Amino acid sequence: MWKISSVLAGIVLVLLALGIVMLASTSGVRGEFSTGDPGYYVKRQFVWLVVALIVGFVVAVLDYRIWRRLAFPLAAGAIVLLAAVLVVGPEINGSQRWIRVGALSIQPSEIAKLAVVLMLSAWMTHVGPHAARFKEGLLFPLLGLGLICGLILWEPDYGTTALIAAAALTMMFVGGSRPGHLLIVGTVGVCVMSLAIMQDAERSERILAFLNPEANRDAAFQVIEAKNAFVLGGPFGVGLGNSSQKHFYLPEAHTDFILPIIGEELGSVTCVIVLLFLGILYCGMIVSERAPDQFGRFLAFGATIMLTLQASINVGVVTGLLPTKGLPLPFISYGGSSLVISLIFVGLVLSVARKSADGPRGDRSGAAIKDRAHRI
Amino acid sequence: MNDGQIRRRCLLVTVFFTCVLMGLGSRLALLHFRAGSQRVGLVDRKTIEQTVRVRRGAIVDCIGRDGILAIDLSVHDVCADPQVISRNGTVDQLLEQVGKIVDIERDRVRARLVREDRRFAYVARFVRDPVVREVRTLGMEGVFFEEALRRHYPHHNFMCHVLGFTNLEGKGCAGIEQSCDRFLRGSSGLYETEVDGRRHRRYDRRTLHIAPQHGANVHLTIDQQLQYMAERALDRVVEQHAPLSCHVIIQRVATGEILAMVSRPGYDLNDYRNVSAGDRLNRSIGIVFEPGSTLKAATVAAALNEGVVTPDSRFFCENGLWSAFGRPLRDSHGYGELTVRDIVKKSSNIGSAKIAIRLGKSRLARYLSDFGLGQRTGIDLPGEEHGILHPVGKWPGIAITRISIGQGVAVTGIQLLGVYCTIANEGVRMRPYVIKKVVDPDGNVLRSTRPEVLSRPITPRTAGQMRDMLERVTEKGGTGRRAAVEGVRVAGKTGTAQKPEHGGYSETNFVASFVGFVPADAPEIGILVVVDDPAEEYYGGLVAAPAFREIAAEAVRYLDISASGVELAGRTR
Repeated sequence: MWKISSVLAGIVLVLLALGIVMLASTSGVRGEFSTGDPGYYVKRQFVWLVVALIVGFVVAVLDYRIWRRLAFPLAAGAIVLLAAVLVVGPEINGSQRWIRVGALSIQPSEIAKLAVVLMLSAWMTHVGPHAARFKEGLLFPLLGLGLICGLILWEPDYGTTALIAAAALTMMFVGGSRPGHLLIVGTVGVCVMSLAIMQDAERSERILAFLNPEANRDAAFQVIEAKNAFVLGGPFGVGLGNSSQKHFYLPEAHTDFILPIIGEELGSVTCVIVLLFLGILYCGMIVSERAPDQFGRFLAFGATIMLTLQASINVGVVTGLLPTKGLPLPFISYGGSSLVISLIFVGLVLSVARKSADGPRGDRSGAAIKDRAHRI
Repeated sequence: MNDGQIRRRCLLVTVFFTCVLMGLGSRLALLHFRAGSQRVGLVDRKTIEQTVRVRRGAIVDCIGRDGILAIDLSVHDVCADPQVISRNGTVDQLLEQVGKIVDIERDRVRARLVREDRRFAYVARFVRDPVVREVRTLGMEGVFFEEALRRHYPHHNFMCHVLGFTNLEGKGCAGIEQSCDRFLRGSSGLYETEVDGRRHRRYDRRTLHIAPQHGANVHLTIDQQLQYMAERALDRVVEQHAPLSCHVIIQRVATGEILAMVSRPGYDLNDYRNVSAGDRLNRSIGIVFEPGSTLKAATVAAALNEGVVTPDSRFFCENGLWSAFGRPLRDSHGYGELTVRDIVKKSSNIGSAKIAIRLGKSRLARYLSDFGLGQRTGIDLPGEEHGILHPVGKWPGIAITRISIGQGVAVTGIQLLGVYCTIANEGVRMRPYVIKKVVDPDGNVLRSTRPEVLSRPITPRTAGQMRDMLERVTEKGGTGRRAAVEGVRVAGKTGTAQKPEHGGYSETNFVASFVGFVPADAPEIGILVVVDDPAEEYYGGLVAAPAFREIAAEAVRYLDISASGVELAGRTR
């Protein structure tokens, strides 16, 4: 199990290193333009990186079982914060997503990601085989999930809403909910999202731009420029720091659209990044499979899925396969909250891995059975 | 829900996300490995080209002194976007308000502004900075400015026919501006630079930079001071005699350099568009006229050179009326027997005709041709005429008596002056020129004109004899007395030619001329004065000779030519 932990940690460290280097490269132009300091973003991100590594390490060292008790209070806290952001959060680009606490600004929706994973892990462990029932397997988790997603949708932040909903439904599927129920819920969710999007001119324009980029060039320019960046980079890239797209062709070059700049400067290294995320997926799944108890299994699974899904959506967006959503690429994009939460997820997986390494392999199933027997 | 089921579902999810991530990776690989031609197109899209306008060279006189004759000024064009203006319905407002500040042709501008399909129109061109500031304060939407360079001639009509002008596109269209256009215009530079998303240039990504080559300066052989004197003298002629036109040329005998060249009527170079083509004509090279008596010098020189006469040969001048080849030929005064010297001094038509008959028409024709008649001199100005000298085979019987006295033959001013400069220059005919040298901004001489010998029609001995004879013209009893300058020996010849009209010759319209050189014994400069159709007096000796004297007197003083022809001060040639 130490091996898996090392591979996972190694992958994450590679991504973090690549991320900070590429952030330095991509954010220079923007930083110089808006603050006069080319290193503005990378300095801040570096501080966040140190914080996130410490937090992640602490989480990895802690026994993951304490989260089972903390899950529901944390979810409640997240809901309070999400409600608070709608009241006190400043409006940036037409949405309220950040709360300023002193010099920090935190994103409650990031905390909500963590809360949902913890909450569902705890709940699905709690209901055990009853998950197939409508009430335990669907209704109760959906109540909490619906509240959180509704609040995030209100901000509005469609990307994070979709991410949390999709990750949550996946966890419920694995936890034992009936696929038929989930399908209905998913369909209804998509309908609700669609209706919400149709109320919002800017978002519906993005969808139209996605469906027909040539006819909606103004709205689709971001995606068109992102794709151009990959093409410009070619197989081997134009060299670190030489991107031309970061010079105001791609407006979010340091956050959501950092991958195209990497593609332009370093070429097909982007494919390696996708493979690294695949590696994270496999490591996480192996840890989940070997978890000493049901909670650990769901926790490792949920954390891994959340990271993988977010990366997949981000890559899908920048390559023009999905409509534009404001989701950062984990470990690489600029953003403190996202980085901290991502490393907490990694810490959780490592913590589960550490526990499963404690005892012999056979002990794990026994613990699970004992656990289940205790519940029933 | 048992453990196995959970594991199966986990596996299912893992497989699903594996597929998703592999798909995304393939998508990325497809984008990265796309054809290179697309990449080139994307890079081109980010590149802009910008030409750098260059200043046109200056034109300066022989000494290169400060008086700039033609320079480029930075000005602006007031432009408008017709689409915006029309949609806002501010056409009339714009015409009204801008019209208050600067003169505009309202109807033409309106016609341009109402075209909604256009995005560009000139409102006013070549305006100076104060106008730009005023128009800018109007703050009208759709009005903008473009930088431009405009050719400006600070002295307006001074030396207008030599300098010429440039058109709105900056191309030289007359005079030196035309003949030296390729030197003056320079070559514009080019930047090719990548731009960022805001279309700002990125200076670290300059892909092409061709440095601009500014225009070269043209140095003329013309001396501003002499030109000014000649223009003033000619203006006085215009005042006194109200001719149709007149022109003056001053040429350095030894080299063929043109020191001054004036035509009247003149025009303001800055306003060339509102001037008739006739006013723009450089009459010194661009019109032909029958020279009359001034051509007798060529006839006599030819006869002397062939040895058929000597200066002392005597001819009977028929007392003023001689019927040759069935047509009468008259002298203005009747003379009996005259020497060749006196025929020149008194300008006897009959005497000259008899000399020519003794010479024979084929030899006369050859000499006139050697003197440069009927062919361009090759002066480096555009628009030179050939003149008219019919081939000898086409001469009717009477022609020799007429061509010898300057009828039935047409010359340009520069050709006629060439005849006299040849006599003055020991029989060597030089090519006249006005461009001394062309110097680029770095000081490299791109072109420098060297004196060029065109022909040697007469021997130095004949030339010396002719100089003596022509000097007598300005002495007492000669036709050119009024051309005499005190303290300087002047040689020259008057001409009073009837203008041809309706197949005959006019009794009322004349071309009065005087052409000669100073000092007579060691000539430095040749001067030609031609007055076309003066109002009342018409004799060359009365109309043109005084102007010649005025110019010669000032030129001699200015150039420090002493009576004996030695230059006193070391003035640059």
